[in-house]
Formats: sequence, C-alpha cells, structure tokens
Amino acid sequence: MNNLSELHLDALTEVFSIGAGRAALSLSEIVGDEVRISVPSVQVLSSKDINSTTLSLNSGRFGAVSQHFSGPFNAEAVLLFTEEQALKIVSDMMGSQMNLEELAEFEHEAMCELGNIILNACLSAMADILNFTLESSLPDYTVASADDILHRLKESSNQPYVMVLHIDLTIEKRHTAGNLVFLLSSASLANLVTHVDQFLGKLS
Amino acid sequence: MSDLSAKRFDMNDIFNTLSFGVCVVDADGRVLLWNNWIARHSGIKEADALNQPLEQVFSEPVSPAFLTALKNTLAYRLPVVLSTALHRSPLPLHNISVANQQQTRMYQSISITPIQSQLNESCCLVQVTDSSTSIKREKILRSHSEILKKEAITDSMTDVCNRRFFDAHYEMAVADAKRQKHPLSIFMIDIDFFKSYNDCYGHIAGDNAIKQVADILKSQLSRATDIIARYGGEEFVLVMPHLSQKIAEQFAEKLRSAVFNLAIPHIKSRPFNRITISIGVCTGIPENDDNLLNKADAALYQAKQKGRNRCTSLPLCETEEYLEQ
Repeated sequence: MNNLSELHLDALTEVFSIGAGRAALSLSEIVGDEVRISVPSVQVLSSKDINSTTLSLNSGRFGAVSQHFSGPFNAEAVLLFTEEQALKIVSDMMGSQMNLEELAEFEHEAMCELGNIILNACLSAMADILNFTLESSLPDYTVASADDILHRLKESSNQPYVMVLHIDLTIEKRHTAGNLVFLLSSASLANLVTHVDQFLGKLS
Repeated sequence: MSDLSAKRFDMNDIFNTLSFGVCVVDADGRVLLWNNWIARHSGIKEADALNQPLEQVFSEPVSPAFLTALKNTLAYRLPVVLSTALHRSPLPLHNISVANQQQTRMYQSISITPIQSQLNESCCLVQVTDSSTSIKREKILRSHSEILKKEAITDSMTDVCNRRFFDAHYEMAVADAKRQKHPLSIFMIDIDFFKSYNDCYGHIAGDNAIKQVADILKSQLSRATDIIARYGGEEFVLVMPHLSQKIAEQFAEKLRSAVFNLAIPHIKSRPFNRITISIGVCTGIPENDDNLLNKADAALYQAKQKGRNRCTSLPLCETEEYLEQ
C-alpha cells in the first residue's frame, strides 16, 4: 500500500530538510564551525526491496544509531554511517586533538549524541510542521556489517516499509554521506500519509 | 515498580543512595528533585536547589549546550544525550580528592528524558554519570596496549624491530614502491665469523657484540621511513626507500665502516682481528615477482665469497649479469 505520490515525497523532503537545518545549527554550536546537513532525497520502499544499493551500503562495517519512537505512528529510526566515516566525524567534532585510535573509545557515546541530534531534529520538525508529537527512546549505537544491517531491516516483519533519507553532512569542509532509515508498519505509514495530506490540504 | 516495593521503601532513600546524579526540573526549568549525589558533587544542598531555576542554582555557568538540550527536551518531549566526548563537563560538578582536598571538574555523561508528573506536568529527568573513572581506565588500558604493541614488534635483545615486524613492513614497503614506482633498497647484513666469536669469547660476550652492532647500525638511520630489523641470530636487514643504487652503495659503506670503527676485538677474524660485517644490497623499483630480499641475500653471499668486511651491491634487474662476474 505504498500510495505516496511525488507530492508527498516532496513534502517529506521539505520537512526533513528543515530538521536537517536545525540539526546543523546544533552541531555547529558544538563544533564551533560551520556544519551543513542536507537531505537530497526521501524514498519509501517495501522492506523486501531494500538492498545494499538502495542504502549505498558497500562492504565494510557501519555505525548505526537507533531510536524507537511512538505516538501517532510507531517506528524505529536508524542512522547509518560507515564506521570509518563515523570515526572521522567524531574526530572533526572533537577538534582533532586525538588520533583515530584514541577516538575509538569515545566513538560510541559521541555517535549516540550525533545520531540523537539528527534524529531529534527530524522528529521535532515533523512535530512542528505535520502537527503531531512522538515519544522516543534514548539512542543506541551498534557497529555491524552491511549484511547484518540488511538482515535486521528485512527481518522486521511487522514493519514492512522503510523510509530512506539520504543525508549529506559537511563538518569543517569534510563531506560525509549517510542514510537515515525509518522502519514503519503499514498502519504507521498510513498515518504518516494522513498527516502529510492534512499538511498539504492546509497549503492548498 | 510494583506498589509493594513502593510501599516498602522510601523512594527518597533510594534516590539519595544512587551513585549517579538525579535531578528533575519542571516545564519552567525549576528544580523539583535533587539527589544526594548531585548535592555532594555540586556543593549545593537540596534545600538551596529546590524550586530554583536550574541554571541559577549553580554559582558557575552551565554550558549552553546543556541549556539548549534541556529547552529542546521540554519543548519536543524528546530525550537527549550529551556525551563526554563532545562536552566534557557541562555542569559545574567536581570530584573531591580525599588525599589533597583538591577539587577537579568532573567529566560527565548526561541524559535528559521527558517525564510526566502525577499532576500531569511535563517535566524532565536529568541523569548525570561520572565518566572520569572510565576515561582514566581507558587511558591505562591504552598505555598498556601501546607498551604491548611496541613489545610485539621489538627484538628484546637489541631493541631494533623484530622479524615479525620486518615481514609485515617489507611487504608494505614493496607494495608502496611498486605502486608509486620509486626505488627500494634492501640491505642484508651479517657479522663476520660470528660463530668463532661465540666459541672464543662466550655467548654473553656474543650477545653484547650483537647489541653494539645493532646500536651503531641503528644510529646511522635518520629518516622515519627507514627501518632496521634483526633478521636472525647475527643477521640484520635494513629497508630504505628512495635511494639510487649509488647512494645505497655509499650508505652500505658507511654502515660497514661504522662497525669496523667500533673496533670490537675478535682474534679469530683475520686479517683485522676485530668484528666486521658483510653487506649485500639490492636496489630497484620492484615489478611483478621481483624479489629484492633474495637478491640482497645473493649479494651478501658474494660479499662473503669475496673476503668479508665489504659491501656488494646488485641492481634489481640485470642480476644475472652480476652473478656471472
């Protein structure tokens, strides 16, 4: 029942771009330098159609920050970066006073915070624009292989839909690309569409 | 928590016994709960904190990131984490050292979670844990692992790199030279008549001689890219990139004379009656299956054949021509 039109996707891209802007602002305050985040595209897919290409998961290991949230719709949000990128982001954010090995110990916590900032910014933008509030768990950080991640996304049978946001993050001129994946049940996707419709209705 | 346990314990006792900080603020940011841990580490009593705006409770400023996070949690009801890595010490909390009564600012990990009061007010629960100990532990573990890492690649007798490190480094150096098409030089070095030295002077003296030779060889290296490793008993190997064959030959001669000038007596080593070394050098830009190490070894064999205490150099190509000489 993937009945999202181009218009819906545009509206969601708009909402998440606002969220991304807020996240960038918070991160800039922490880093003390310009941080830019953009969401060039939003896709909604059936979870059986996701593969390493749709998520641009090449080989290697990935850092995944996840938060469960509930409210008008329930979902699990997972922010994915390659482990190497994750370490570089943390290094940039910490002002590079430490080498990469030393950073490994801080990676877990700092990535939780980075994920938390981006996820919360997206959720708060949805709350403001689409007019609903969600509750959320604290973030969790895991490092896993691309296969582990795909397996986990496909296994979640009560959440047959995934909304994939491609995210471009630039910290101190270093460009990083990641993905934000929302796992949604059919009912949750329907609720999301309803809220987007209400928002679009107000506009017209 | 079940009703039973809620009745059996006074929740205040539990909060006040916790070994991390717990603080609850209401929608206006006023303190509703302030446990013993946070009172102890802030030096601010519960009575002085209750009903005050959190940011005004402390005499020192609270970090702006903490205040933004608190405001966001109150506005959007979304939980927030502040990591030690990015914030170090958002709240003015201190660790007090019993030994010297000195206060040090505490490294903290903080989480802020929205909660609802029984009166249906939107509140925030702030949890603060002390990350100083885990940071200290990580530092100790890291310094141990650095020591172990160094030990794993060092020859314990001579303090130069060991064979294990050489094997890994050689492979990388060859791959680098192949990719960037720059020359690589391998020096195989052997102490002359070392078996007779051991027989004549004993093994302890033999070990000392190896150490002295290793030290003087190592002292000749000045670039970070150059390495010396103990290859076997009295054999050493040097890996040096970016040298022409001519410069490599000159450098080998420098190594030979450095050991010669140590003037370690060795009456069984004729005609100099001192410890000397023979060196085989091979220089070239490696391609495909070229084996610099084998050719350096062949050059060393030639140096031994020609009378020892000398250097023989072979280019990586044209090897056969040289071998026929």
